[in-house]
Amino acid sequence: MRETVKLISMEGFEFIIDREAAMVSQTIRSMLTSPGGFSESKDGVVTFPDISTTILEKICQYFYWSLQYSRGKETEFHIEPELTLELMMAANYLHT
Amino acid sequence: MEPKIIDFEQGWDYIETGITALKRHSESLPVPKFTLEQYCDLYTAVYKMCVQKSPYDFSSQLYQKCCETMEEYMNSTVLPALNEKLGDEYMLLRELVERWSNYKVLVRALSHIFFYLQRFFIVRESLPSIETVGMGYFRDLVYNKLQSKVREAVLALVDKEREGEDIDRKVTKRVLEFYIEIGMERYEQDFESFMLKDTASYYSRKASSWIQEDDSINDYIFKSEQCLQKEKERVSHYLHFSSEPKLVKVVEHELFVVHENQILEKTHAEKQIGLGPLAKIFKQHVEDTTINAKEQVLIRKVIELHEVYMVTECFQSHTLFHKDLKRAVAGSDALLATFCDRIILKKWGSEELSEEDIEKVVMFLAYISDEKDIFAEFYRKKLALRLLLNRGVSDDHERSILTKLKQQNRGQFTFKMERMINDLTLSRENQNSFKEYVAKPGIGLTVTVLTSGIWPSYKTFGINLPNEMVKCVEVFKEFYETKTKGRKLTWIHSLGTCHVNGKFDQKSIELIVSTHQAVVLLLFNTKDKLSYNDIQTQLNVGHEDLVWLLYSLSCGKYKILIKEPATETVSRTDVFEFNSKFTARMCRVKIPLPHVNDKKKVIEDVDKDRRYAIDATIVRIMKGKKALGLQQLVSECVQQLNQMFKPDIKTIKMRIEDLITRDYLERDRENPNMFRYLA
Repeated sequence: MRETVKLISMEGFEFIIDREAAMVSQTIRSMLTSPGGFSESKDGVVTFPDISTTILEKICQYFYWSLQYSRGKETEFHIEPELTLELMMAANYLHT
Repeated sequence: MEPKIIDFEQGWDYIETGITALKRHSESLPVPKFTLEQYCDLYTAVYKMCVQKSPYDFSSQLYQKCCETMEEYMNSTVLPALNEKLGDEYMLLRELVERWSNYKVLVRALSHIFFYLQRFFIVRESLPSIETVGMGYFRDLVYNKLQSKVREAVLALVDKEREGEDIDRKVTKRVLEFYIEIGMERYEQDFESFMLKDTASYYSRKASSWIQEDDSINDYIFKSEQCLQKEKERVSHYLHFSSEPKLVKVVEHELFVVHENQILEKTHAEKQIGLGPLAKIFKQHVEDTTINAKEQVLIRKVIELHEVYMVTECFQSHTLFHKDLKRAVAGSDALLATFCDRIILKKWGSEELSEEDIEKVVMFLAYISDEKDIFAEFYRKKLALRLLLNRGVSDDHERSILTKLKQQNRGQFTFKMERMINDLTLSRENQNSFKEYVAKPGIGLTVTVLTSGIWPSYKTFGINLPNEMVKCVEVFKEFYETKTKGRKLTWIHSLGTCHVNGKFDQKSIELIVSTHQAVVLLLFNTKDKLSYNDIQTQLNVGHEDLVWLLYSLSCGKYKILIKEPATETVSRTDVFEFNSKFTARMCRVKIPLPHVNDKKKVIEDVDKDRRYAIDATIVRIMKGKKALGLQQLVSECVQQLNQMFKPDIKTIKMRIEDLITRDYLERDRENPNMFRYLA
C-alpha cells in the first residue's frame, strides 16, 4: 500500500498524492525526511498558504508527469500561459 | 493581492522563536513538539524574506543571523555543559557525545530551513554552507579547547581496560567516531599519535618489569601473545581500523625488539623453550622487516636478521627458524649472487672486504639449500665477468671466498670456479711468454686462454677479421702450438676488447670497443659510407648480430657512425657514414654494447644440467642395486641430489622413461613399477 501525502492549498483544497510523487519537490522531500522525526512526517500533511488551488493542482500534475518522463515516457507537459508566472514562483519555492 | 512585506525584525523574531523550539527538539526534549507545520512556516518565512525586492531582500542578514545563532548556541549551551563535566572522565565523554549528536541534528535542521539561502545566496556569494559553518564552530569553539582533555580521558580509560577493568566501550567508540568526523588528520594527529606513544610507554614499563620477574621465558612469551591479541580486539571494538598495523608494530617493538638481547640470553640460559610462539613472533618480525624490501636491501636485511638470531647458538640448529627465514628469502638466489658480486666489487674498490663479511654471506648460503645450483651458476657467471674484464679483483680474495664456500658445501660446488681462477693465472704466464715470443713489436695483442667446460658458455659469432687481426691470430696460434699440442682454439670475439684510435675532425679519441665493433669500424678506413648490405657481405655476420653491433655504434650515447635514416632501429636498407664530427670530453671513450639479460638463459642452462645430473644419479643407483621399485628409486634419487637442489618427481619419472628408451633400464615384465639395470 503506497504511502500518501496531503498537500493543502491556500483556499483549503486538499490534494492527496503519492509520497513518491511529492518527493519530486526537494523542499517537500527534505520536510518529509528531516532527521528528528517531525511528528506528522509519517502521514505527511503540508499546508501551502501561498499557493492557490489552480497552481497546486498543476504542480501535482507536474509531479506525476515528471515521474513518467524519468521512466522513459517522453511526452510534453502543457502549461497555460496565464499560469506561468505563479507556477514558476511556486516551483522556486518548492525547489522543483 | 499584494504580498505583505515582512520587516526584518519581525521576520527574524518569528524565525527565532521557531529556532528555539528547534533547539529544544534537537535535544530531544518532549515538549513542545516541533511539528511539520512549524517547519513549513519557518521555511516559508525564510523564503519570503529572501524573495522580497530590495531593500527588503534580507538574504545576507539571514545568513549572518543564522551563523550567529549557531555560534551563540555553542557558547551558551554546549561549552558550559562540557566544562561542567571536566572533572570526571566518563561524564565528560558522555556529555561530549550527546552534545555532538544534538548539535548535528540542529545544524541539519537549520540548514534545511535556510535551504533557500543555500540555493541562491550562498552559491552566489560563494560562502561556506551552513553545515560547514556549523561544523567549523564546533571544531573551533569546542574541539580545539577541549580535545586534549578528551584525549586524556580516553587514554586513561584505555589504560584502565588494559589493567583489566571494564570500561564503557560504546562511549569510547562514539568519541572516536567523533574525532574521525571532525577529520581523519585530527584523529591521527590529535589522538592516534598520542595513543601510540602512550601504548609504547605502557608496554615498555610492562616489558621491563616482566623481564625482571619472570623466570621462564615461556611465560613472557605467553603474556606478550595475550597482549597482542587484546590490542587487536581493542581496535575492532573502538579504534579505527587503520590504527591496527601501527599499534601492533608498536607493541611488538616494545615487547620484543627492545628487549631482544635479554630474551635471547634467557633462551640461551634455558635449554627447554616453547618454540611455537617464539617462532611465530620471529616470523612476524621477519615479515615486518622484509616486506617490500628491494633487492639489495632485502638481502642485506636478511643477512642482518640472520646475524641477530642465528649467531646465537641456541637457534642455529632449529628447523622452524630455518623455514621461516627461507620463506622470506624464497627465490632470491639470483639476487644473492648479484649481491655478492656487488659487495666484492664495491668493497674492494675502497676498503678491505673483511673475513667476517665473507663468512656471514657464506653461512647464509647454508639456508638456501633448495636451489644451490642456481646460485652456483649465477655466481660462476659473475665471477667469470669479474675475472675476464679485470674489474678490480684480487685473486687471493676470490680464492678465500671459494674456500669458505667449499667448507659449507660439497666439493662439486666450487670445483669449476677454482679451475677458472687457475686458468687465469696460467693465462697470465702464457701472456708473458707470448710477449717474449713475439720479439718484434707491432702486434699489441693480449690473449687469455680459457678451458672450455669450466667457464660458462659464451655465445659468439663468426666474423671476417681484417688482415691485421688475422695476422695476430695466426701468430698466436703458432705460439700456442709450441706450448701444447693437440688443442683446438676457438676465438670468442664477443668478449674481446680493442683500443681503436679514431681520427675525428676535432681531436683524436681512443675508443674502447669490443673486437666485433672494432672490425666494423675498421671497414670505414677504406670507405666513408657503407650500406648495411655492404657491411654484411664484407663481414659475413648474421642479421640479428649485425643489427646489435651497428645499433651500439650509431644509436647509442656515442654516435661514431651516422645512420641514414636516423631512426631508432637498424634495418636492412640503412646506410652508415663515418661521423667525422664526433667528439667527446675525454680522450678515451668506451662504447658499450647493449646488455643482454641472461637470467632466463642461466636458469635454462641449470635445468639442462639438472637433467644430466638426474640421469647420472639414476644410472648410478640402478647399477648398484640392479633392480629397484619405482618409489625406492625416486626416493634414493632425491636423497642423493638433495645437496644441490630439490629434484621434481615428475622430472625424475620423465628421465626414467627417457633412460628406458635409451636402453639403460628396462621395465620388469610382470611388475610395471619395477626397473632393471641393463648392462
